[in-house]
Amino acid sequence: MTAYIIRRLLLLPLVLFGITLIVFGLFQMLGPDKLLSAYINPNLAEKLSPEEMEKFKDKYGLNDPLIVRYGKWISSVFKGDLGWSLVGKEPVLDAMKKRIPFTVELALYALIPVVGVGIWLGVAAAVRHNSPIDHFIRIFAIVGWSFPDFVFGLFVLMIFYSVLGWFPPGNMSLWAEEIFKSPAFKHITGLPSIDALLNGQFRVFVDCLRHLVGPILTISWLWWAYLLRITRSSMLEVLRKDYVRTARAKGLDERTVINKHARRNAMIPVTTVAGAMVIGLLSGTVIVEAVFNRTGIGSFIATAATQLDYASVMGGVLFYSTILVLGNLIIDILYAIIDPRIRLT
Amino acid sequence: MDKEYKRMLKKFFKNPSGVFGLVLLIFFTIVAIFAPIIAPPQPSNQYEPYMMPIVTWSPDPQPPSKEHPFGVSERRDIFYGVVWGTRTAFRIGLIVTGVSTLIGLFIGSISAYYGGWIDEILMRITDIFLSIPFLIAAIVLTTLLGTGLDKVMIAMIVFGWMGTARLIRGNILQAKEEQYVLAAKAIGVSTPGIIIRHLLPNTIFPVLIQASMRMGSLVITAAILSFLGLGAPQGYSDWGAILNYARNWMLGAHGEALKYWYTIVFPGTAMVLFVLAWNLIGDTLRDIFDPRLRI
Amino acid sequence: MSVLSEKTPILQVKDLRTYFYTEDGVVKAVDGVSFEVYEGETLGIVGESGCGKSVTSLSILRLLDEKGRIESGEIIYKGKNLLELSESEMRKIRGNEIAMIFQEPMTALNPVYTIGDQIMEAIILHQGLSKDEARKLAIDMLRKVGIPEPEKRVDEYPHELSGGMRQRAMIAMALSCNPSILIADEPTTALDVTIQAQILELMQQLQKEYGMSIIMITHDLGVIAEMSDRVLVMYAGKVVEHASVRELFKNPKHPYTWGLMNSIPRLDIEYERLYAIPGTVPDALHFPEGCRFHTRCEFATDKCRSEEPPLVEVSPGHLSACWHIDRLESAVAVQRKGESA
Repeated sequence: MTAYIIRRLLLLPLVLFGITLIVFGLFQMLGPDKLLSAYINPNLAEKLSPEEMEKFKDKYGLNDPLIVRYGKWISSVFKGDLGWSLVGKEPVLDAMKKRIPFTVELALYALIPVVGVGIWLGVAAAVRHNSPIDHFIRIFAIVGWSFPDFVFGLFVLMIFYSVLGWFPPGNMSLWAEEIFKSPAFKHITGLPSIDALLNGQFRVFVDCLRHLVGPILTISWLWWAYLLRITRSSMLEVLRKDYVRTARAKGLDERTVINKHARRNAMIPVTTVAGAMVIGLLSGTVIVEAVFNRTGIGSFIATAATQLDYASVMGGVLFYSTILVLGNLIIDILYAIIDPRIRLT
Repeated sequence: MDKEYKRMLKKFFKNPSGVFGLVLLIFFTIVAIFAPIIAPPQPSNQYEPYMMPIVTWSPDPQPPSKEHPFGVSERRDIFYGVVWGTRTAFRIGLIVTGVSTLIGLFIGSISAYYGGWIDEILMRITDIFLSIPFLIAAIVLTTLLGTGLDKVMIAMIVFGWMGTARLIRGNILQAKEEQYVLAAKAIGVSTPGIIIRHLLPNTIFPVLIQASMRMGSLVITAAILSFLGLGAPQGYSDWGAILNYARNWMLGAHGEALKYWYTIVFPGTAMVLFVLAWNLIGDTLRDIFDPRLRI
Repeated sequence: MSVLSEKTPILQVKDLRTYFYTEDGVVKAVDGVSFEVYEGETLGIVGESGCGKSVTSLSILRLLDEKGRIESGEIIYKGKNLLELSESEMRKIRGNEIAMIFQEPMTALNPVYTIGDQIMEAIILHQGLSKDEARKLAIDMLRKVGIPEPEKRVDEYPHELSGGMRQRAMIAMALSCNPSILIADEPTTALDVTIQAQILELMQQLQKEYGMSIIMITHDLGVIAEMSDRVLVMYAGKVVEHASVRELFKNPKHPYTWGLMNSIPRLDIEYERLYAIPGTVPDALHFPEGCRFHTRCEFATDKCRSEEPPLVEVSPGHLSACWHIDRLESAVAVQRKGESA
C-alpha cells in the first residue's frame, strides 16, 4: 500500500512536466509579438518603438529556440514568476493568490453534498429497485443531468435572490469584505469562511456561507444526477452477485448485507468515475463563478480568455491541471483502499 | 441480424422515455428545418438570417407580447433567437460529435490493433489531453484561436476525442481475442480489412450510444462558452448567448421579483429539452444494448 | 411416498412451486417438487442446467431474487414450515441450521473482505462469540478444511487464494456454525479434476465428523455416484425419478436418467461416437404439453405428448414419472446384454 502511494507520488512530477509541456506548446502558437504582452505592462508596451520591442523580445528570450524558451519559462515558473496579468493589473501569481482561496473553498464545500447525497440517493434507488421511489429518483437523475449548470444557476439566482432575497451573488457582502481585508483579520487556513470562524467573526462566517449556498447547490445538482445514476446501476449489479447471496445465506440481516457487503463493492466503479467528477467540479467552479459573479480562479480564467490575457490563462490552466492531477492521485489511493485486488506492490 | 434490429426497435418503442426523447428530437428537427417559415428573417436581414433582429432601442428587456411572443432581451427578439438557435445547436452538436468521434475511432482502433509502442504513445497522449479539464482546455484554445462559434467547435473537437478513443480501444482489445477475428487473421485477411470488416461493426454500437449521450453535453459546453462571451458573436442566434444577456439582469435584480423571467425561461427551456432529448435516447439505447442491464 | 420410511426426515419439501415473473412471461422453474432429507445422509439432485435444481435449493433458504416467488408448497424443517417463518426467524436458520456453498468460490466470496472476516461474521452473528474467540474458531475451521498456515491465510483476501483453497474456505465458512444441513450447489464444477476429488473427499470426511445431512446439487452423475445415498433426477422443473443411488444406476426407470448415464464416457466400451441426449432443454417459458421430456425421448408416443405422467412408486423405494417404463426396461436389457457379450 505504502509502496503504491510512493510510486504514484514519484510519477507526479512526470505528469506535471507533461502538462507544462502541453500548456507551453499551445501558447507558442501565438508567435513572439503576442507573447510579449505576457511579460510587460501593456501601458508601457504602447510607448515602445519596434527596436525596443525587439530588445524586450531578446530580453525575455522570445527569439530563442523552443527548448531554451521552455527552459527559461519553466525556471521562472519555479521562481513564482508567471508574468503580468492584464485582468488583475498585477503579477499573475499575486492575482491568483487572492482568488485561489475562494475557488478552493467552493470546490471543497461542494464535494461534501455532491458525494454524500449522490451516493445515498443511488443506493436508495437500487435497494428499492422498480418501486415508485426508484422511478422518481431515476427521472430526477435524467432531467437533472440534462439541466446545464449555468441555466440552473440562473434559475437559482432568479428564485433565491430575485424573489426570496436569501442567497445573494458575489463572494461576500461589502461590510464583510471590509472586515476580511482589515489588518486585524488573520488569514490562518486561507479558507475565508474558516478563517472568519477562527477570528471570532461569526457574522462574516454566516455571510460567506450565504454567498456559497447558491453556487454549491448549482454544482451539486448536476453531480447528484450523475453520481446517483452510476451508484444505482453499480449497486444493482452488485446486488445480483454471488457474494451478496452468500452473505444472505449466512443469515445476515438486509442492512448488513447492503451496507457492508454490497455498498463497498458498488463503490469501486463509482471511484473510477470520480476522476470525471473532479473535472466536472473544477469546470463547475468556472461556470458558477461567472453566473454568481464571484471572484475566483474560474472567473479569472474566463475573463482573461475574453480579454486575450495569455499570462493569466496560462497561470489558470496550470492551477486547474495541477489540482486535477492531485485529485486523481487521491482517487487512485482511495480506489486501492476500497478494492484490495489492486493493492499491488 | 435483421430480426435482432427489429427486436431492438420494438424494445425502444416500448420504452416511454425513449419515445418521449424521440418525439422531442423530431420536434426540434422540424423547428430547425422550418426556421425560415416559423421565424422569417426581415428583408434587411435575409443574407444573415442567424443574426437576431434588433426590434427596439430601449436597453431594458421587454415582456412577451403579440409581436414578440418570447419577449425582448438586449433589444433583440428572443423568439427569433430560440428558433434559429435550434439550427445552431444541431450544427454544433452534429459536427463536433461527428468529427471528434471519427478522430477517436481512428486513434482508438490504431492503438488497439497495433498495440506495443504505438499503443503506449497514443494512450499517453490521450492521458495528457485528459489531464486538462475539458472546459478549461476549450477556454484556452478559444483564447488562442480567437473567439467565435467555429473556434469553439474546433476547440471542442481537439479536446473531445479521448473518450471515444479509450472506449473503442477497450472494445477492440476485447473483440480481438474473439474466435471470428482469429479466424479472419488465420485465413490472411489484411489488417485494415480486419479492422473495418470485423472489428468495427462489433464494437461500434457502444460508440454510437456514447456519441448520442455526448451530443447533449457538447451543446451545453458550447453554450457555456457563448455564455462566457467566447462563442457566438453579439446578436447571433445561440441559446447560450441569449442566456448571457439575462445574466446582467439577474445579478442586479434583487426585489424585482421575476420581472425578467422570460429572458431565462424560454432559451433555458429550449436548451434543457434539447439536451434531454439526446440523453433520453442515448439512455434508452444503452439500456437495450448493455446486456448487463438487461434482465 | 417416502422412500426410506423407517427414519424421520429432518427436512421435507412438499409440492414446492417456485415461479419467476419475467418481462417475457412466467417461468415455472420449480413445478411441484417433493422430497425429504434424512439425518446424516446425502441427497443428490441431478439434472441439466435450467432444470430447477438450484432454484429448489434457493427456495429452501428463501434466497430467491425479486422476480422469483414461491407459489405454493411446504418446506418442513424440524417440524417448522420455513415458508411461514418471519424474515428474522428465517435469518436464524440461514447459515446456522442450514448452510450453503456455491459453485464459483471466486464470485461467492466477497472480494473486498478477508477470508477471516467473512468466516467470523457468521460465527459472531449466530454464536455470539467475541471477535477474538471467533477469530480462533475461524482459524480452527480453516485448519480443519485443510488450508495450510491458517493463521496467515485468515488475513488474506479471496483473490490471494487458489480456486481449491477458496472452496475450502467456503466450506469452512458454511460449517463454522455446525449446521444440520449443508446445501452444496455444484461445489466442484468450477474446479480442476484433481481438486474436485479432494473437495468431495473433504466433504465426506466432514460429514462423518459433524453428522450433518448434505443436499448435493450437480449435473455430474459421477459426483452423485461417489457422494449420494439417494438421488433425485430433475427435468424441466419436475422430479422425474427418485431412488437410492445403487438402485438408480442398476435399474434406471426414466429415459432421461438412462440418457444421462449413457452420456458418461466409459473406458470399458469402444464407441463409434459418444451418446448425447438428442435436442436441447426446452425453453422455460414454453414447456411442452404432456411429459416435458417427450421432445427428446426416443420412446415418446401420443400419450406422452398429451398427458403428463405422475411420479409413482414403480418398485419399493423407487419413484419414476414415465408412461413407458416397460419399453425403457427392454431397451436397457438389450444394451446391457450387448455390453456383456
